[in-house]
Amino acid sequence: MSAVRDRVSQVAAHMNATGRAGLLEKRPDDIVVTTALRTAITKGGKGGFKDTPGADLLHGAFTSLLQRSGINPSLVEDIAVGCVLAPGGGATEFRAAALAAGFPDSTAVKSLNRQCSSGLQACVDIANAIRSGMIEIGIGAGVESMSTQYGPAAVTEFSELLENNKAAAECKVPMGVLSEQMAKDRHVSRQDQDKFAAESYRKAGVAQKQGLFKEEIAPLKVKWTDPKTDEEKEITVEVDDGVREVTEQSLGKIKAAFSKDGSIHAGNASQISDGAAAVLLMKRSTAERLGQNILGKYVAASVVGVPPLLMGIGPWKAIPVALGKAGITKDDVDIFEINEAFASQCLWCANELGLPMEKINPKGGAIAFGHPLGCTGARQVSTLLYELKRTNKRVGVTSMCVGTGMGMAAVWVAE
Amino acid sequence: MLEFRTAGFNPYSVKYSPFFDSRLAVSAGANFGLVGNGRLFILNLTANGIVCEKFFETQDCLFDLTWSEQHENQLLTAGGDGSIKLFDIGVGEFPVAGWQEHNREVFSVHWNLVNKGTFLSSSWDGTVKIWSPERKESITTLPVHSCVYSAQFSPHHPDVVTCVSRDSHLRVFDLRTKPSAQNHLTLAIPIHAPPKVAVPGYGNVSAGPTECLTHDWNKYRDSVLATAGVDGVVRTFDLRVPSGPVNMLTGHEYAVRKISWSPHLSDVLLSASYDMTCRVWTDGSNVDQGGNGAGLGREMGRMDRHTEFAMGVDWCLFGAEGWCSSCAWDERVLVWDVREYMRPA
Repeated sequence: MSAVRDRVSQVAAHMNATGRAGLLEKRPDDIVVTTALRTAITKGGKGGFKDTPGADLLHGAFTSLLQRSGINPSLVEDIAVGCVLAPGGGATEFRAAALAAGFPDSTAVKSLNRQCSSGLQACVDIANAIRSGMIEIGIGAGVESMSTQYGPAAVTEFSELLENNKAAAECKVPMGVLSEQMAKDRHVSRQDQDKFAAESYRKAGVAQKQGLFKEEIAPLKVKWTDPKTDEEKEITVEVDDGVREVTEQSLGKIKAAFSKDGSIHAGNASQISDGAAAVLLMKRSTAERLGQNILGKYVAASVVGVPPLLMGIGPWKAIPVALGKAGITKDDVDIFEINEAFASQCLWCANELGLPMEKINPKGGAIAFGHPLGCTGARQVSTLLYELKRTNKRVGVTSMCVGTGMGMAAVWVAE
Repeated sequence: MLEFRTAGFNPYSVKYSPFFDSRLAVSAGANFGLVGNGRLFILNLTANGIVCEKFFETQDCLFDLTWSEQHENQLLTAGGDGSIKLFDIGVGEFPVAGWQEHNREVFSVHWNLVNKGTFLSSSWDGTVKIWSPERKESITTLPVHSCVYSAQFSPHHPDVVTCVSRDSHLRVFDLRTKPSAQNHLTLAIPIHAPPKVAVPGYGNVSAGPTECLTHDWNKYRDSVLATAGVDGVVRTFDLRVPSGPVNMLTGHEYAVRKISWSPHLSDVLLSASYDMTCRVWTDGSNVDQGGNGAGLGREMGRMDRHTEFAMGVDWCLFGAEGWCSSCAWDERVLVWDVREYMRPA
């Protein structure tokens, strides 16, 4: 009978369509996203969340996720939270936030930090844990309160040993400075950067007006102190307040931030922001058993290293690796969500990979509405999946460059 | 369109006789070839439709067949039990000869079109064997070390053999070379290699290895072959530029099980796929059709009347240039004219 079994598995293997067709197939062991949401993203130090601690933002994302998904919190076995700036990684307050949000003590929580890709890493960690059978249901999340935690304290002083090692010392070159140098070396002109940035603002503005962020944003009630009157009031934050009207010309007038003859400035780099995002992941078989609504699935992810001084090229290296793992080519992808850390690096990666501009960040990106470091990777998931669904497209990629010279990318399919 | 039902048996292969324009043979197996008997159907195209002239029963599925080039009544089958059998339509109900060397399922048999005294077989046991109908043992064994789904003699040269296998390679053997360490292997082309010249809409990146299930030699251009397999892409190769595919014809949603170049037109080929369609393609090489030598290939039409995996397809060598036959797991053999399914460019 073993010949029979062999023949059956051979024919079954023939049905493992590769490429896009294979990707679009639905299998019971797919890792699916049943809920993906985020808080609004607000301006650091000024915006709606300026007085809200990171753990409270996360608490808001958790409670909204439980509400929207209707999942029994005791079924969630693990939560991974990406965060960059919180002392101690935020491990203690994130566990506390989960308990406060209604998760029982049986739900484990960890925090992790892979710089700007922390939110994506959290989702990937949970997906991998589900795939390996370690857990059945989990949440990948990300949070950052740059208003309360951004500053020099986030990085430990380098030891003499590190300072004396050239490659090691390069890890602490500020990102603006190294990106400025990279823009110069790779010939990304100020004009092109400003054009790209203005386009990000325009796309985000249009999307906001059309209400395209409504599905992904969970409104959050927070306390907020009016800087003029010092009066504390309760407000509901449901809009990304960094989005504003700009043009290429108006951006052209802003002074370069990192060097006199530089090209990078506040208008063509990502904003300092606050926000949180959460993604509920499980196997398709589990989702169907629980009657969860499936938004899309996670397919594959990649992480790569690049020279620390060229950290901006991370997506250029990471995206083809992720596509290769998913067995597709760039032409099979409908939307790329590439984090706009700087217009210069995002633009360079897109051009170098030969990606058509209309496929990149169709609702704008971090230049327009901000880059709360640890949150971004998880934020991109909801932005991507809802946009794919709305436009009746299927395959998307999220990617970002990572400080100290890394890149991450992941392939997702909307349903 | 003519139709024949192979009731109770799921066809794997259909071939037109090289001697008679009205004769077809179909190899099939019970229970989708997974377990149970096999059957070889000899079919005749008559004024009253397709009529079964005779059938032969075997103990295991017949995955492939090839007509003898020497004798109009004889044909070979590839058996799931590792056997190769020679049947004679005029002689009784049992095979007139048999060969048993393969250790696993035989997936293809092919008669040498030039030196008509030899044939070959390929098997899941990872070998291709060259045989003579006069000898009990094989003449040569070519090791491939991977399940060989399809092997063929070149229609242009009696000593050139090609095969495609699970390991995503197209191998070329030249039997004139010394066996030595290479076992006659002269080329092993990775099928999944990116094309040398980027094919529009496909990019220049390899999507990784893919099991290759079928291949066929172009009948006019002596260095051109096509392959297809699990990734659903039909690729053409030119052995003069063996580093990667020349053309990639995309469209099939699932694995392609069988491809066949037209015996009449140098740029046209047919494919049968698990997506239940048979499609006709041009590789764009025909200058008259607007191609420019290595031009863009495209799908010219599709026949979607099968309701299960389409497994086999073959062109009629005679008469008008569009007649062909296909078979599928829906237990049906269809005889149809490709031209009825062509779409304007």
